[in-house]
Amino acid sequence: MVYEFRYLAPKTAAELAATLDDVKSDGKLLAGGTDLIPNIRNGMLKPRVVVDIKKYEGAGRLAFGSDGLTMGPAVTINDLLRSKDARERYPVLCSCAHELASHQIRNRATVAGNVVNASPCSDMAPALLCLGARAVLRSATGERVVPFSQFFAGVKKTVLAQGEFLSMIVVPAESAGTSGNYLKLKRIAGHDLGIVGVLMTRQDGRIRFGVSSAAPTPVLVDTVSEKDDPDEAARKVLAAVLPISDVRGTKEYREHMIGVYARRLFTEVK
Amino acid sequence: MKIRLTVNGLAYERDCAEHKTLLRFLREDLGLIGTKEGCGMGECGACTVILNGRAVNSCMVLAVEADGAAIATIEGEASGPSLSDIQKAFQRNHAVQCGFCTAGMVMSVKELLSTTPGPSVDQVKDAIEGNFCRCTGYTQIIEAVMELTGHPETKGELEHV
Ligand code: FES
Ligand code: FES
Repeated sequence: MVYEFRYLAPKTAAELAATLDDVKSDGKLLAGGTDLIPNIRNGMLKPRVVVDIKKYEGAGRLAFGSDGLTMGPAVTINDLLRSKDARERYPVLCSCAHELASHQIRNRATVAGNVVNASPCSDMAPALLCLGARAVLRSATGERVVPFSQFFAGVKKTVLAQGEFLSMIVVPAESAGTSGNYLKLKRIAGHDLGIVGVLMTRQDGRIRFGVSSAAPTPVLVDTVSEKDDPDEAARKVLAAVLPISDVRGTKEYREHMIGVYARRLFTEVK
Repeated sequence: MKIRLTVNGLAYERDCAEHKTLLRFLREDLGLIGTKEGCGMGECGACTVILNGRAVNSCMVLAVEADGAAIATIEGEASGPSLSDIQKAFQRNHAVQCGFCTAGMVMSVKELLSTTPGPSVDQVKDAIEGNFCRCTGYTQIIEAVMELTGHPETKGELEHV
């Protein structure tokens, strides 16, 4: 890369928080790098300092405890997919993870990075929304917990304030065993960004839809009930989203396919 | 920044520019030009190397991030004039035409076989999903892996285009 920046790799979470406080808007956090590095290369981002979030103690921790599944910011998509416990207890998380990009990218890209980027086409967001996951945000002055349903603020925007970083994702124990499936429409069979992505989950009769690439932020739809028929379910999902036309597809095509997927999932997910 | 890493079992210590990608570091600083730059943006997989046991796109890793890491590249495959088993299988099955994708392709296959010694056709496709090949049509590459791992009967599942 021609563009030059400084690289820092804090060794503790406290040091990381202090570093972010120090570099302010000159800094960019580096997790898997699968978005940041191409964006620096193509001139979209010009950070003076790149701060590596992966090198502090505990950043790569993936653990199961009484509060559920916790993941540090360095946990990669493939770390999640390789965890037998994650596949058994949170199959929904894994079906979304598997749809994300290519194998090499899944080896680097992190779960946290996929949501912090707040791309409308995030594949992990639908799962985290449907499972009621929470984000722990840390800064030099303390910590706060934000449910993912309140985490996304707009296209590529989250509620993270300057100096804050996502230090942990918590997927609650109560949502373990939730069944579901994620359908992602792409231009090619291989790795690609989604045109639309629809996740449906079901647990104890409670139905949720998570939709990506269909609105400025990933969308959670909580209004569908078991008593609905597939058309009614699709109508409710469509009422909650606001697709746009762009290079990957038109608004009309997206709406049509969200309806197709919602109906299909409603009959298939048991 | 000073970094230490091993590449194909050899230890290196170098002063490296902090903004340099691992791909550029391998090619320019270590002279290991077997690893190719196709897109430089994570799309094509030509730059695939193995970083601590995992296939990654080296165009999206900073060299300084790999401080302390163990890396394998295509240069570590052959020993002297004798090709590695994966390379021989590629050769026997005509899995190489222009060769631009091959270094990355071989690394992706190598990671797959290190964790899954007897993969199915679908597992091979999954492993090389991030490696573009504009020549072979992929079929011969998958056949090379199936023949190498002792499942040549799966040939029937594959279509030549
Ligand atoms: S050069 Fe790295 S993916 Fe294309
Ligand atoms: S052999 Fe030419 S790109 Fe694969």
